Amino acid sequence: MFNRILSLAFLTFKEGVRDRALLGIGLFCLIIMGSSLVVVSLFMRELHKVAVDMNLSLITFAGLMMTFFLSINLMAKDIDKHTIYSVLSKPFSRTEYIFGKFIGIMLLMMAAFCILTLCSTMTIYAIKLQFADWFKGFQWAGVYKAILSEFLMMGILNAMVVFFSTITSSSFITLLFSLSTYIAGQTIEEVVMYLKTNPDIMMTETIKTIINISQYILPNLSAFDLKIQAAHALPIAWPYFAGIAAYALVYCSVLLTASSMIFGKRELV
Amino acid sequence: MNRKHYILPLTLVLFLAFYCVVFQNVRVLRNDTYYTDYIAYTAPAKVLGPASLEFKGIVSDFLFLKMITSIGEKIGREIELNKNHSKYIYDTSSVITDLDPYFWDAYVFSSMTMAWGFGEYNKANELLLKAREYRKDDYRPPYYIGFNYFYFLKDNSTASQYLMEASRRPGCPFFLKQLAGRLSVYSDKHKTAILFLTEMLKEEKNNANARQLQLRIDTLTILDQLESKVSEFQKAYHRMPASINELVEHGLIKSVPKDPYGGEFYVMENGRVFTTSKMRL
Repeated sequence: MFNRILSLAFLTFKEGVRDRALLGIGLFCLIIMGSSLVVVSLFMRELHKVAVDMNLSLITFAGLMMTFFLSINLMAKDIDKHTIYSVLSKPFSRTEYIFGKFIGIMLLMMAAFCILTLCSTMTIYAIKLQFADWFKGFQWAGVYKAILSEFLMMGILNAMVVFFSTITSSSFITLLFSLSTYIAGQTIEEVVMYLKTNPDIMMTETIKTIINISQYILPNLSAFDLKIQAAHALPIAWPYFAGIAAYALVYCSVLLTASSMIFGKRELV
Repeated sequence: MNRKHYILPLTLVLFLAFYCVVFQNVRVLRNDTYYTDYIAYTAPAKVLGPASLEFKGIVSDFLFLKMITSIGEKIGREIELNKNHSKYIYDTSSVITDLDPYFWDAYVFSSMTMAWGFGEYNKANELLLKAREYRKDDYRPPYYIGFNYFYFLKDNSTASQYLMEASRRPGCPFFLKQLAGRLSVYSDKHKTAILFLTEMLKEEKNNANARQLQLRIDTLTILDQLESKVSEFQKAYHRMPASINELVEHGLIKSVPKDPYGGEFYVMENGRVFTTSKMRL
């Protein structure tokens, strides 16, 4: 079973690597990373903050682009081009197909994150060499923890893409749902906190109940945003890190299991 | 056939020529807008915060860069900054520090400009209090608040409390503890300001800002030297000099020094020396 999942994962990975969009996203990120060498010099004191902000934001941006364009494409292509029949005619169960696809996408994401991390390390190091006096409050550990945390968030988002792909055969609707979930996931915590601190706000009880229920259903993606902590070298405790890793793992498992169930019952016409 | 080959390149050349015209026109239009009373607007944090999603750090960097270039450009062109600029700096800094409450550059730039440039000491302290809340391991926020209370608001006992707090935080310079201790009897305001600004200058990377700081230090040094001469005069003649010229007439200084900000120095009734420029360009 694991061999079958892995072989499908490698197949997805290879298919993803061949996509030219990946090259475009990579090139764009490298150019912006290079330009951060110049942009940073325009600031006053906290150059390490700006360098880390720019590089981490770019890695996240690349991850999002890959999720919304590459992953959705990889999921939809099989059904659109009817290649899914040849895959499923082989001894693959639909659950294996879902897990294989997800692992393949995450392998692709991991490879991209590794390359981008290496490039941003080189960029930050070059800026650090140039402006050593303004890098006193800087720590590498925070940067890598923030990247790892972003990778975990990409896991949830891609599981979301897989989930929506099993519900609809339209890649546009998958994109719309995934994007909406990402935006809602990034803001739900802020909205809930705002309602807690301002209980007298003019809002109907129904909307309050919807928001309250949404916080349990939507993924809390802002928990994975450690960029500001990394930029200011603030401590990120390991228990916090373990907590969000467990959250990501469980959320992905729930989504993938639900996807397998839905996909198992779906008629592929 | 041959004629067809020339149509596209000629059309392109024609459009390029049009482009030059419209480009120049837009530049003139933008200059007219920019060179009048153009002040950028920053959306409130309640909108920008959620809209920035997980990119709050880089959005705060962008807003800060926009603010310093916009204000720096006006200072560069020697445009007198007014209340609208002060409001823009305060509002934008509030948004920037809502997005990234640890961003020290934003606190420094805005509080310095509010205090030294616009005389809005309470607003400067408001921003610094926010910095003090978030940057708990940094001695600078309470130090800067203490300085504002001492130098501008002339409230030595509050200043002393903040300087004491700063002296307990890591990395504080050696002189701070002593200064905090004897602040209630400390009268050399210009000397303290020179000390404060010299510490800031050490951290300054931006050349334009460094030049501004150096200009202020130079002026304060002249003020300090003149005050000591006024004191000498008082001891010798048992009265205050009527003007700086009297110091020259009595041979205490060779000539009336020039104010780097373009103003004129004058002696106040209590023996303090100040300048008509108020150290503003």
